[in-house]
Amino acid sequence: MPGLPLTVSGLRLAFDCADVIDLASLAVAPGTMTVLSGASGSGKSTLLYLLSGLLRPDAGTITWAETDIARLGEGQRDRWRRKQAGFIFQNFHLIEEMSPLDNVLVPIWLDSFSAASKRQRALDLLRQLDVPVERESVAKLSRGQQQRVAIARALIGDPSVIFADEPTASLDAATGETVAAVLQRLAREDGRTVVVATHDPALKTLADQTVQLDHGKREPAP
Amino acid sequence: MNPFPIAWASLRRNTFTAILFLLIVALAVALGIAISAQERALRVGSARAADKFDLIVAAPGSHNDVLFSTVYLDPSAVELLDPAITRLLFEETEADFVAPIGFGDAIGNDPVVGTIAPFVDHLSGGLAEGRLFEGINEAVIGALSPHDVGEELEVSHGHGGATGTDADAAADAIEAGEAVPGGDGDHPHITIVGRMQPTGTPWDRAIVVPIEYNWAAHGLGTGHLPDDIHIGAPFDPDSLPGLPAVVVKPKDVAAAYGLRAAYRTPQSTAFFPAEVLVGLYALLGDATAIMSALTLAAQALVVAAILAGVVAILDLQRQRFAVLRALGASPLFIFATVWIYVAGIVVTGALAGLVLGWGAAAVVSDLLAQSTGVAMRAEIGARELSLVGTLVGLGLILAVVPALIIYRRPVVEALR
Repeated sequence: MPGLPLTVSGLRLAFDCADVIDLASLAVAPGTMTVLSGASGSGKSTLLYLLSGLLRPDAGTITWAETDIARLGEGQRDRWRRKQAGFIFQNFHLIEEMSPLDNVLVPIWLDSFSAASKRQRALDLLRQLDVPVERESVAKLSRGQQQRVAIARALIGDPSVIFADEPTASLDAATGETVAAVLQRLAREDGRTVVVATHDPALKTLADQTVQLDHGKREPAP
Repeated sequence: MNPFPIAWASLRRNTFTAILFLLIVALAVALGIAISAQERALRVGSARAADKFDLIVAAPGSHNDVLFSTVYLDPSAVELLDPAITRLLFEETEADFVAPIGFGDAIGNDPVVGTIAPFVDHLSGGLAEGRLFEGINEAVIGALSPHDVGEELEVSHGHGGATGTDADAAADAIEAGEAVPGGDGDHPHITIVGRMQPTGTPWDRAIVVPIEYNWAAHGLGTGHLPDDIHIGAPFDPDSLPGLPAVVVKPKDVAAAYGLRAAYRTPQSTAFFPAEVLVGLYALLGDATAIMSALTLAAQALVVAAILAGVVAILDLQRQRFAVLRALGASPLFIFATVWIYVAGIVVTGALAGLVLGWGAAAVVSDLLAQSTGVAMRAEIGARELSLVGTLVGLGLILAVVPALIIYRRPVVEALR
């Protein structure tokens, strides 16, 4: 599925009367990887949650292709994420009681009763990412393998947009580089739009665009 | 959407706690089921036991005492029916038979009951083995009696029974192998000649002898002229002694009510066992209703406590639910997952409780049947199913509460 272009303008979000995000504009092209970077508390994860529709801004627009998700209700934003987005987390957030295959199929169950039609695709994704599919539980996988299961889970619905929140933070350097390369490939080879919140310098070097944040505001590029 | 795999995974995450919750629900339900099923088994069993005792005539006094002594062979001191009344009963044309009942003796723990052969045949519906007694020193045993046909027994005298008798001398005479005053000679031992079919009553353990033996053992003659050695009706009207009870089989329903009315006099009382049992069942029913209500309330509290526990446990999984939301799960999906989680525990626990309660009632029924002789069978009926259905319904409704609590949790805070 081709990536979606993103246009953000006048984005503001405040907690307790203090701005946590104040972003005048941002544009992301399909087929690119954009890194949201900054120190802890800079607002990179909050911005990621805004761009994915998990949070709703107080003001501004977040337009993915033709859809301004800032104007959508909660249910519509849920549906938009189901149809258009995949999510990768720092701690993978897999369901330990499930097999790698079932974990990958979770997003399908959010929408359909049967995941049978996606089973082969899930197996293919796991094999492509070099995950042993025969394991009964993801708890028995290495951390690198677990993160690759999480990536497969993000890709099962063939999303246009991939959101990743500190995807390499809990991995060793070598595994982190592998995951970073996968994310870059998802953007450049598959044409998806990849948005990553991270402070990993390795990911920054692979990014097509870096948005440096400080207290919710975008810092000018050096 | 399909929330079942996630709900199942959430149950497996806290397997021990989920099983504990399930067991608590099961035990609470089992308690209610056991009480309800046991009460009905007791009621049905005792009613069936009294089926063959159409109309009981006795001396004025407690119907309960006469009923328990006659039907359930539970020894108690009852007044003796005036022989003049017994004479009138034997002359009744509206009765198929009039069966004098005499009790008060035992062999070991097995009661020895005196009556006439037609009543034994009526009670048993034909013998399972052997024949009916034809002589004063012959006996027929109940279906569950440990004795055998052909065995000779010695009767010990004086276990509860009739008042106003002076039978010790007669009993001593029997035991000593001497002639019984007013009797037909010496008959210290009795020989078992037949075995009844199961009746589901304490009579299944009884040793049933001719009423003449019973009277003679108590020094009351045999109910016949001294030179008359036959047993059973007709009796000599002037030789009839007092009796604890007489069972009458009326020819039809009209005759039954007519006889009941005719023998409700200052010298006698007549009643259908059912009318006494109805009063007892009303009391039993009231107690059961109160216990059932208390049990249901306790079950509701158990479910409420479990729901509180479920909220606490699922709160520990809030990050899992937040991740699902991030992946695109609707609040309805989260709601359904939590609801299925709780419903799974309540429904499975309730079904397990139904089986457990039925099993407990069956065991208690068996023990009670062994101790009382009244056949009881615990069964699951509409009332028990309704009890479980009510609890399940209540649980499914209350399961909405944790589902609402969990699905309203903020997503982003849980993800950080």
